[in-house]
Amino acid sequence: MKGLGLYIHIPFCVKKCNYCDFYSLGCMAYEGIERYINSLCLHIDMEGKKYSKRQVDTVFFGGGTPSILSVEQIEKILNAIHHSFHLTKDCEITIEANPGTLTEEKAKSYKSIGINRVSIGLQSASDNDLKMLGRIHTFEDFKESYRLLSSAGIDNISVDVMYALPNQKTEDFIETVDRVCEFSPEHISAYCLKIEENTLFYKIRDTLSLPDEDEQYKMYITLCDRLKKMGYEQYEISNFAKPGKKSTHNMKYWLSRDYLGFGPAAHSCIDGGRYSYSESIEEYEKALEGGNEPKKIAEADTPLTKDEKIDEYVMLRLRLSDGVNVKEFEERFGISFDSRYKKNAMYEKNGYICKKNGAYAFTPKGFFVSNYILSDILENI
Amino acid sequence: MNEKQKRIRNFSIIAHIDHGKSTLADRILEYSNAVSKREMEAQLLDNMDLERERGITIKARAVRINYTHKDGEEYVLNLIDTPGHVDFNYEVSRSLNACEGALLVVDSTQGIEAQTLANAYLAVDCDLEIVPVINKIDLPSADVDRVRKEIEDVIGIVAEDCPAVSAKVGLNIDTVLDAIVENIPAPKGDENAPLKCLIFDSHYNAYLGVVVYVRVIDGTLRAGDKIKMMSSGAIYDVVEVGYLNALGLEKGEELKAGEVGYITASIKTVSETKVGDTVTTAENGATEPLDGFKEALPMVFSGIYPADGARYNDLRDALEKLKLNDAALSFEAETSIALGFGFRCGFLGLLHMEIIQERLEREFNLDLITTAPSVIYKIDKTNGETVFIDNPSNYPPTDTIAKAYEPTVRANIITPTEFVGGIMDLCQDRRGIFKDMKYLDATRVELHYILPLNEIVYDFFDALKSRSRGYASLDYEFADYEESSLVKLDFLLNGEVVDALTFIVHSEKAYTRARKIAEKLKDNISRQLFEIPIQAAIGSKIIARETVRALRKDVLAKCYGGDITRKKKLLEKQKEGKKKMRRLGSVEVTPEAFMAVLKLDDSEK
Repeated sequence: MKGLGLYIHIPFCVKKCNYCDFYSLGCMAYEGIERYINSLCLHIDMEGKKYSKRQVDTVFFGGGTPSILSVEQIEKILNAIHHSFHLTKDCEITIEANPGTLTEEKAKSYKSIGINRVSIGLQSASDNDLKMLGRIHTFEDFKESYRLLSSAGIDNISVDVMYALPNQKTEDFIETVDRVCEFSPEHISAYCLKIEENTLFYKIRDTLSLPDEDEQYKMYITLCDRLKKMGYEQYEISNFAKPGKKSTHNMKYWLSRDYLGFGPAAHSCIDGGRYSYSESIEEYEKALEGGNEPKKIAEADTPLTKDEKIDEYVMLRLRLSDGVNVKEFEERFGISFDSRYKKNAMYEKNGYICKKNGAYAFTPKGFFVSNYILSDILENI
Repeated sequence: MNEKQKRIRNFSIIAHIDHGKSTLADRILEYSNAVSKREMEAQLLDNMDLERERGITIKARAVRINYTHKDGEEYVLNLIDTPGHVDFNYEVSRSLNACEGALLVVDSTQGIEAQTLANAYLAVDCDLEIVPVINKIDLPSADVDRVRKEIEDVIGIVAEDCPAVSAKVGLNIDTVLDAIVENIPAPKGDENAPLKCLIFDSHYNAYLGVVVYVRVIDGTLRAGDKIKMMSSGAIYDVVEVGYLNALGLEKGEELKAGEVGYITASIKTVSETKVGDTVTTAENGATEPLDGFKEALPMVFSGIYPADGARYNDLRDALEKLKLNDAALSFEAETSIALGFGFRCGFLGLLHMEIIQERLEREFNLDLITTAPSVIYKIDKTNGETVFIDNPSNYPPTDTIAKAYEPTVRANIITPTEFVGGIMDLCQDRRGIFKDMKYLDATRVELHYILPLNEIVYDFFDALKSRSRGYASLDYEFADYEESSLVKLDFLLNGEVVDALTFIVHSEKAYTRARKIAEKLKDNISRQLFEIPIQAAIGSKIIARETVRALRKDVLAKCYGGDITRKKKLLEKQKEGKKKMRRLGSVEVTPEAFMAVLKLDDSEK
């Protein structure tokens, strides 16, 4: 049986960023971090009993800003995990960290308690951008954080950057990419800014001067090109890694591997079903303190039909540069890929999809219009 | 004339829209106990939902009322309701011909409007005794004296002692009934002369067949008689005759000269009972029909297509049902490369068109795509042939045209003086020929123009309203066919002509119109993976061009924490949108894009 992934949601931030619509709370407004961690531990214990036979090969602390937790708090959660689950020897344990929340002591302790991968949220090398995004740090802070982690012996670092920021030109974004590459991180994630409802940016959207579609496209294509030259492999729409440094945890999402989420708004995919917990820390804590499981929100009321499952498989696999392996697809579902997805040929002809190593995959240009193409070729989504 | 005939009064109510015609009709029925309050739905005469909502009367109805006058005599009052809009002018005139008098309702807060005048002139043409009724006197802004004076000055009828009422609150309704009895003459006509009945309306009833509403001018009609429609010569056996009660049909023995009532004769569709036609007996009947019969001819045409091609049959059934009760509606199947199977429909005018479209959508639950309204062009071809074109796609090639003609209308616009400048600019812009201008009073002006109908069908009402803040009113009637310099304007998407977008335009306006529509299309066609040129062409000459740039970005970059549900939902939604698209060659277009080009806001320029 394949390894299990654990996702631990830490929904606290020093301050909410102007573009962020993920479930997180301003930390100052919430004083019950300890209470939340206790609930998490109860939850881990509860799930551990159900999946005690499974080998856990990834743990991911996401947020929010997990790095605002004290080392003791992280350790407490990790101990609970070790207590309830069986972790593989080379288990990938990632924590998301924001510059400005890391100290030398924290960096060293991460290493000592077994954290072997850190994902730093930088977003931009321009302090103006950072300010506008509502980040609490500067580029200098990032440099310092990076240095602290490296010196502490963390040798698997990922850096998050964003593009399509207000007033940003392709040159500006590439400047950020180049400055990040100077550190030679093992992994880079590059996300396109999207103006989501319920964010400050949404409220002031009319005043933001965002790069147009063509400029965004240029940013993306230049990014893919530049990172390739720098020795990174693009393995997913927004993710780039040095050889052997893909995020094992992240890959689970697209390979439909099993993962369990912990915390409000966390998503799980286990034994063929998907569900999430509601976006309420109160409900989450109350349930667990009362000895109950938090309420699950199932993705679908009825199990997926076979056709839906096939299309979901294709949708997820096509997020990856490895794409859909035709032989594997046909063995798995017993049908021919080409006869099911006839429109695929047209996109292949026009350079949006390519076939390599027996698999269909999006090209960078195809990735950037993948929703359009997927909604055209998938009949059963 | 017998005693009974002497105490019949046949009258209509005419008014500008919203001046309170239907409310007054209700009050009259109520006051004379023709219908009790409990039985009365508000505004009984307007019994179609749509009419009630729009506050206008689409089809005529008639009601017989028994009224005891203060002289102690009992009178029969036949109220014949008329459609309240210019598109139904002909029907109005037939209804008026069935009467000896008309109540002219004028809103005391508004005064005379375009349709007040148009209707008053129609009534004068029919030799009717006009009884002005000043309405809405309960409103604070009522100015009864000014309106009295206006009626006298503008229409030239005495209004000194005319009833001033509030139909809404039921004030002074008795004075209206008295005025009807005292001022409107009893019907003339000889019950022993050969039969002549005027058809002023008809409607289809699933049990009785067509119920024909008639006014007996001469003669006597009984159940069992053999009757003949004088326009077609068709003969029917009368099954039933009777009166039109407030609450339905009241079977009777006979209908005599001067009376208003109904006939049933196992008639299948209303197109066999044409409004204005004369009914006589098959034997020993009248030799000459009544004056003024015209076929109701559609003037405005539009392609109507189901948004979902699979509902073509539903659309056909719906049109057939509407046609049962609407002789003026015409339709025939047509095929568009862009829109698939649909119908080319003909209407009396714009309002008629809107009403039909709305009823199709509302009563039959259809989503429609309609093409830009067009008129009938008359073409003399070089080979000596003359053709009439109601579908722009069928417009012949330029080199085969000797002369082209387009229909014009006499337009009558009434507006507050402050908007005259803007409205004259508008009419000028729409190729109008100014005829004259008349001050109704210090604040209002009546403008007369000859306008090409083709310019009116194209958002003229909206432009007129927006330039007069809603105050100007319009009335028009067909004038003539006039020679014109017309061109056929085609639109091409990705090099292919989209037939549904083709239209005919005056050569001088082709460039502006082409540019505007091309821009509009550009804004309404969503980006696709390739660049889409939009071209406007006259023949093979391209006169405007726009480009829909290729789609570069459509991606969900981040799927945080394994939340793939979000991505799925997004794709689902996109898929839904795609289903509604129409594929034109290699280009996909939403139905909204077709509709958007129909609404060009001219006041922007």
